[in-house]
Amino acid sequence: MRLIIMPLLKINGTTHQLDVEDEMPLLWVLRDELGMTGTKFGCGIGQCGACTVHLNGEAVRSCILPVFSAQGKEIITIEGIGENNPVQKAWIEEQVPQCGYCISGQIMATSALLSKNLKPSESEIENKISNICRCGNYVRLRKAIRLSAKLIQKQGG
Amino acid sequence: MEKYSLLRRAFLKKSALTCTGLMVGLAYEPKCSLAAKVENLEHLGIWIRITPDGKTTFIIPSSEMGQGVNTSLSMILADEMEADWQMIKTETAPVNSDYINPESNSGQITAGSSSVKGFWGPLRKAGAAVKLMLRQAAAQRWRIPVEECSARSGHIYRKNSSQKLSYGEIAEAAGKLDIPFDPPLKKSKDYNLIGRSVKRIDIPSKTNGSAQFGIDVRLPEMTYATICQSPVFGGEVMSYDEAAANKIRGVKKVVIIPNGIAVIADNTWRAKQGMEALNVKFNGGETKGLESKQIKDEFIKALDAEGKTNTEAFNVLDLEYEVPYLSQAALEPMNCTANITENSCEVWVPTQFQEACMDVAKEISELNEEQIKIYTTYIGGGFGRRAETDFVKQSLILSKELGKPVKVTWMREEDIQQGFYRPASMSRFQIGLNKDGFPVSWNNQLASPSILKRFFAPMAWFNVDPLSTEGADEIPYAIDDFNLDYTEVDSGVPVGFWHSVGSSFNAFFIESAIDESAHLAGHDPLLYRLKLLKGKARFQKVLNKVAEKSQWGRELPKGHGLGICLHKTRGSIAGAAIEVSTVNDLLKLHKAWIAIDCGKVINPNTIRAQMEGGFTFGLSATLGEKITIKDGRVEQSNFHDYPILRLKGAPDISVEIIESGEEIGGVGEVAVPLASPALANAIFSSSGKRIRSLPMSNHGIKIA
Ligand code: FES
Ligand code: FES
Repeated sequence: MRLIIMPLLKINGTTHQLDVEDEMPLLWVLRDELGMTGTKFGCGIGQCGACTVHLNGEAVRSCILPVFSAQGKEIITIEGIGENNPVQKAWIEEQVPQCGYCISGQIMATSALLSKNLKPSESEIENKISNICRCGNYVRLRKAIRLSAKLIQKQGG
Repeated sequence: MEKYSLLRRAFLKKSALTCTGLMVGLAYEPKCSLAAKVENLEHLGIWIRITPDGKTTFIIPSSEMGQGVNTSLSMILADEMEADWQMIKTETAPVNSDYINPESNSGQITAGSSSVKGFWGPLRKAGAAVKLMLRQAAAQRWRIPVEECSARSGHIYRKNSSQKLSYGEIAEAAGKLDIPFDPPLKKSKDYNLIGRSVKRIDIPSKTNGSAQFGIDVRLPEMTYATICQSPVFGGEVMSYDEAAANKIRGVKKVVIIPNGIAVIADNTWRAKQGMEALNVKFNGGETKGLESKQIKDEFIKALDAEGKTNTEAFNVLDLEYEVPYLSQAALEPMNCTANITENSCEVWVPTQFQEACMDVAKEISELNEEQIKIYTTYIGGGFGRRAETDFVKQSLILSKELGKPVKVTWMREEDIQQGFYRPASMSRFQIGLNKDGFPVSWNNQLASPSILKRFFAPMAWFNVDPLSTEGADEIPYAIDDFNLDYTEVDSGVPVGFWHSVGSSFNAFFIESAIDESAHLAGHDPLLYRLKLLKGKARFQKVLNKVAEKSQWGRELPKGHGLGICLHKTRGSIAGAAIEVSTVNDLLKLHKAWIAIDCGKVINPNTIRAQMEGGFTFGLSATLGEKITIKDGRVEQSNFHDYPILRLKGAPDISVEIIESGEEIGGVGEVAVPLASPALANAIFSSSGKRIRSLPMSNHGIKIA
């Protein structure tokens, strides 16, 4: 057993000192060590996107991200994107969630995409928002991504 | 005839929840109830609770798993009682026989698209009773006749006066009145919620990470476990390296469980690390050595034994269809948290089947019902898998062993490999056609594992299983000579409930077969069906609506095809069309249209969501999902080899709701079975290729 570092993590603006193995995936640090359960576990192999968080503004799948590689970076989770976030608003307006389990991941992936490009093409959307929704909410997801872009634009302007 | 009546008194009580005000319980007589129940407070199912500040809580007797049941059942109650929608909160019911759906014959369960269908009657009555009591209480306060008190939006208004009382203000007084036995119900024209697209109550919490699913449960001193079960079904643990597991940081204990082993640690990932270190080996098992090919041979043997029917007709269509095992693969992995102490047992679980959870809690804890509490959390997808209790039992065993709260979380690999699968099935048809190409005889032989024999063994002895034959046993088309034979085939692979159950395969078989008949005769598949639906106005209307919306008959772009189909299940009739294009084997799904007649409409928003989601779920299965068996075990293990349809590839879907005013039907499943036949028929229309076995990926067909 190797226990060298005590990762310092900056999550949603707060710094946490943690006593965990450096290869523990960020997902389990968030969920089990810190009790931030908004980030979900779906597959553990980077396939489903339920565990998506932002790392320095990029959408990453936290189930395959060892905690040491998140050190010193800005981590944002669903709990940290703020109430009344335009993407959340769009999800409510379009009534996207069914069971709701994939939603944190969808919202995190979408807000990362739109933070770089408010007018993504259809194929960009389809490639970037590759999250699995087992309930099949894609009809509304598509609409909500477009609405999010509009709401962000409005907010900015 | 009413199956239920308002039996019990309302009561005023400072409850354990320290609330005063009005609480109304409703009990109905389940269909076959013989004994009168003891009338004591604890046994009173509480449906509606109004506190003096006017907050109104509805106890929802069904599990919320994304179907929007918290909202639709609340709408029924709130509409009848004229509650203020902004004041409504919901709680999921505890285990109590008063919460059994009148449609259920297996106890307290959320399944079979039955929540709104079953509770529509009782809830309206409960809402109406509460409203009348509140009006009566106001009438007493004002000393005026009750007729002069009207209810609206959480208040009682006094006639010809500006006086009003909020529900909160008179809840306590209302609680002292008798529950009216037969309160008048609202006329449908007076509904202010029912029939409108109301936004779901639970959605805001599902967009900010605050909604609590089973997997999110956290308790003081809780430990985290994961399990590994014999990949060969029914096998036993042979060897494991406990010392290696114990070396992993945080690992607390290794425990043998039925057909497997568990590692308990202080963190889920550490439990998983412990499991890897454990290097567990299994042996034995009922499916040892089994291969998918053998299962198929068994089906063929069974069908051969049934034999084909000698059909004398102008033309005979002889067909064979096949579908694979499927996994529900709900996105929230199986999990359950249990805490057993000497004299109490608590279980937090995303379950569709509270009653079965109670039974296993009793069995493992050896406590009685009064000492056991089952808390139903939000469910990250059910699809039938969460009507099982294997994962519940595991958490109970582990908590008992450890004397602490234990949360069991399955890895995805367990979920895919330890299923209760949608049965693989094969179906043959010999359809006799007259010289105009219309069927005069329909002979269908189905070979399929029995889902129900696990619960009722004699099913298999007599080759009956209404769940396996559902959708095949009653087809809407007028065919004089109709025969269906079913043979049960058991390969040892566990089977269970999968979104729409038997309809998920039978609709594919039947709606493809009828399409083949139409094409063979050179008829338009829509007109052909309509002709066979003579006198069945509801079916015709649904199909015509699909045709209208999809502009059936229009000239399609080159390479495009349009497929249509129809199905009835759980009291609702639905039809679909899908437009596809194929270039070689690259498939593009352009758009789908669905029409549904579910009798009465409660919340169009959630009905649409169920149609979109169900159809998409069905498309996913049709395109690429399959569970195959190699050397006795499931070959697939996670989403890389059990592919779920994603945004890329998912078509836009438009939904039309037809309110026929007929008896209310369920909406949770009826769209699922439409996907396979609609897609197969569309592919035939675009390419001339007839797909008779699923998934499509077996035929090289891929999403472009
Ligand atoms: S849990 Fe991380 S991608 Fe599925
Ligand atoms: S809403 Fe259930 S998985 Fe997406």
